[in-house]
Amino acid sequence: MIWPAILGSAAATYLVRSLPFVVGFRGHLPGAASRYLEALPVAIIAALVGPAVVAPAGALTRGAEPLAAALVVAVVAWRRSLLAGVIVGVVAVALLRII
Amino acid sequence: MSVLVFAGASQFAMVQLFSDKAPTAIVVASVLFINLRHLLMATSLRAELRRLPIGGRLFAAFFLTDESFAMATGHFRRGGRSLAYYLTFAISLYVLWNLATLAGIVIGSAIGDPRRLGVDFAITATFTGIVVLAIRRRADAVIALVAALIAGSLALAGASTVAVITAGALAPLIAVFVRR
Repeated sequence: MIWPAILGSAAATYLVRSLPFVVGFRGHLPGAASRYLEALPVAIIAALVGPAVVAPAGALTRGAEPLAAALVVAVVAWRRSLLAGVIVGVVAVALLRII
Repeated sequence: MSVLVFAGASQFAMVQLFSDKAPTAIVVASVLFINLRHLLMATSLRAELRRLPIGGRLFAAFFLTDESFAMATGHFRRGGRSLAYYLTFAISLYVLWNLATLAGIVIGSAIGDPRRLGVDFAITATFTGIVVLAIRRRADAVIALVAALIAGSLALAGASTVAVITAGALAPLIAVFVRR
C-alpha cells in the first residue's frame, strides 16, 4: 500500500504548487486584494517560523528557541546580514539547549 | 519518495502514517493538507513567474518549497528581478535533498540527534532573518508577529498541519484594513 500513497502524495504536492501558475486572472486587482497579496509572503514565512520557535518538535519550548530567535532578529536588524544571523542563531540555540 | 514527493514535512508525516498502517486516502489527504500552504506561496510568486512560458512555470512549480519560496521572496524584495536565482536555488535544493536522502539511507543510523548541535535551528534562523530583512513598514512587523503567533499557537494546540496555511492566510488581512 506504500506506492499508491507515494504516487497520490506526489500528485497532491504538485497540484498545490502548480495550480496558481496555471489558472490565471488578467487585468488589475482591486486595492484591498493587492495589499493582501503584498503582505502574503512575509506572513507565510513568519508563519513557518512560529511553530519552530514556540513548539519545536511539537512540544512547548523550554525557552532556548524564542531567545535564539530574538537574537537572530537583533543581529539581522543591526548587521543587515542573513549569514551573521543564522550563525549566531545556531550557536545560541545549541548553547541554550545545554543549559 | 524524496524524488517524487519532495516535501520535507509531508515526507516525515508519511513515514509516521506508514508505520501506523494508515490507509492510502488518509496519507494523501494529510499530505494535501500539509502542503496547502504552497497554494499561498505560488499565488504570491505568480506575478514574478508570469514572465515564464506555461511550460517553464509548470517546471518551476515542481521545485517550489518553503525554502526556495523564502529565498526567492527575499531576492525579489531586495529588488532582484532574475528568475535564475529562484531556479538555481530550488533545483540545487532538490538535488541536495535527494543526495542527503541517499546518504541518510546509507549511513543514517550512525549519526546521533542533530538537535544536539542546533543544526535544526538553521532553517528557522534563516526564515527569521528573511522576515526581518523584508520588513519595510510597521504594519509588516505587526503582520509577521501575528502570523508567527497564530501559527505557533495552532501548532501547540495540536493543529500543526493547518498552522501555516491558517496563519499565512489570516495575518495579511491586517494589511487590507491598514491605510498607508
